[in-house]
Amino acid sequence: MNVHTTTGGFGHLIEDRRVHRTLYTDHSIFNLEMSRIFGGTWTFLAHASELPNPNDFVRKRLGLRPIIVTRDREGKFHGLLNRCTHRGATICRQDEGNARRFTCPYHNWSFTNTGELAAVPMEDGYGPSFDKSELGLGKLRVESYRGFIFGTFNNDLPDLKIHLGPAAALLDEWLDRWPGAELQLRRGQHKLMCAGNWKLIYDNAADGYHPGFSHASLLRMRKDRYGGGVDMQWALGNVDDGLQTVSDSGNGGTFIDQRAEITRYWDQSAPMPGEDTYARVIRERLGEKGEAALDVVMGSGMNLNIFPNLLIIGNQIQVLEPQSVNQTHINWYATALVADDLPDEVNSLRMRLQEDFPSFGEPDDLANFEECQAGLEIEEVAWVQTGRHLDTGREYIGAKGMLTGPVSDELPLRVFWQEWLKRMEYGNAWVAK
Amino acid sequence: MNITTDPMQGGFTLEDILRDTLDSTYIDDAYYAKLRNDMVEWEGKGTLLSEAERHVYEALIIEENWLLDRRAFERWYQLYSRKCVYWVPAVGDLPDPVRSDPQRQVTIAFDDRRRLGDRIVWLRTGVAYSQLPPSYTSHISTAFVRMPSENKSEVKVRSQFLIQEMRAGHEIQTFSGWMGHVFVEEDGITKIDRKVVCLLDAPRSHHNMTFLL
Ligand code: FES
Ligand SMILES: [Fe+2]
Repeated sequence: MNVHTTTGGFGHLIEDRRVHRTLYTDHSIFNLEMSRIFGGTWTFLAHASELPNPNDFVRKRLGLRPIIVTRDREGKFHGLLNRCTHRGATICRQDEGNARRFTCPYHNWSFTNTGELAAVPMEDGYGPSFDKSELGLGKLRVESYRGFIFGTFNNDLPDLKIHLGPAAALLDEWLDRWPGAELQLRRGQHKLMCAGNWKLIYDNAADGYHPGFSHASLLRMRKDRYGGGVDMQWALGNVDDGLQTVSDSGNGGTFIDQRAEITRYWDQSAPMPGEDTYARVIRERLGEKGEAALDVVMGSGMNLNIFPNLLIIGNQIQVLEPQSVNQTHINWYATALVADDLPDEVNSLRMRLQEDFPSFGEPDDLANFEECQAGLEIEEVAWVQTGRHLDTGREYIGAKGMLTGPVSDELPLRVFWQEWLKRMEYGNAWVAK
Repeated sequence: MNITTDPMQGGFTLEDILRDTLDSTYIDDAYYAKLRNDMVEWEGKGTLLSEAERHVYEALIIEENWLLDRRAFERWYQLYSRKCVYWVPAVGDLPDPVRSDPQRQVTIAFDDRRRLGDRIVWLRTGVAYSQLPPSYTSHISTAFVRMPSENKSEVKVRSQFLIQEMRAGHEIQTFSGWMGHVFVEEDGITKIDRKVVCLLDAPRSHHNMTFLL
């Protein structure tokens, strides 16, 4: 079969139960993804707790584009392209800060944090056709849902909350484990680098087939040290006979639900430094409510993936930053829960627990993704399988009206590729507008 | 799991580690306060080690580096005290007791004695795919100085390091920065009580840091 990857559409690369390897290896496809997928749909930009005060900003990326996410003095969020409208320099060169204006270092054009061009040195050097109001920064359409800030160039998409669909309600469940608590990201990050295509990481975030095998090191270490019963026990044996499920959460989003496997969060948690000391303090301080406080130390038992770059897993938020067709940065943001009735010790334990998987789990995944990338470079074997449980009759309409299957179902891959195709065929949403 | 008991390990076997420290009882507010105070003291003006100090502390750091480079993790583990910590902050431009505070921040590694044991058992499972093939390292330490410290029962030594790491099939990675070692006497033997590794590139993305620094 002759596969053209650079001309025409992409439909021939995506079949019911397999997709073509070039989707992971072709540079021209990668470049189109960066312009059509990232920004072509509601794309995660930042979390409100990263810019808590009026006039705060953070520097981020949207695909390969440098952008700035700002909070104006009224508290409204903006997504601005970090590109001077004069001759192209980036205007913001700090990761975060507080600024009402950004002044381009090159010739000092200065822009407000809502993107308007405010001042130009020696403005009389421009003739009568010069119109500052036409030279504001490139702007994204921006909306947020419960602190999660998304942006897009696409004006045809519905409002964010409608677009999120069932994922909004799932995000509520993830956020509301301790009623009234505020989620905060400003607790440092694990930044990981993988010599693999970004989609290998998205694929894996709803892969309930791999844990018992890929994470053999973690499972074996726990068993040898602590015996049975701790952490990730649901990954053992035939997982499709267990209680975990996987679902289509809409618009390329996918969801693994492990919660039914967890009878007592605290008892099933991975070990963490400070466990015995702080468990005692929390129980002493909160009495009966202490058990519930200990439960929110452990991850949520949810993997909620929002197309194309946001993976909410356990207690962590992972953001994918593609660098090139075979290089991806993965930013793991640690999260804290802040509430008057929740002692600080809970967050000290959460920090330690959120070091566990990046130490003993994720590196093995990344090693496998890199080996996938190496294998996929082989021209002669063209296809990647995506058909598991497609025709076993095990899928059904589950909670929130989501198509749901047993946890090893490759439904998430099929869901991803449908949305991917839709966005790629739409073209660049900025040009469309 | 197959445990290979190498007679050359002289009693420092994986089996010893499997049984060692299965709970976590000493990381508390006071311990974190001690680490913040360490950060303040690491900023001080160090003095070159005396000849006697070199024979104890510099020699121990050289021994530690050698054991890590030889992948003798079981022996390395026994250089550490009963209430030890091995800490790699995820922030750069240290010392800074606020930005580095592990009580409030996630780190690249924060291992008490139990998690350090977990890490060695994990490395030895033979199925950690991020360590297949395994990492080989070369640790170089230099510029050892003794730091002034409030606590007279401890000795603080700061040093600069350069570590290269190689896994077959991957490019050699280079890491540099400074380390702080806090030494205590335990049953008449000098042990490492706390080690902090401050990487020059701590805030950047890392490619596979599953070896020991
Ligand atoms: S490029 Fe920005 S002011 Fe000239
Ligand atoms: Fe995994």
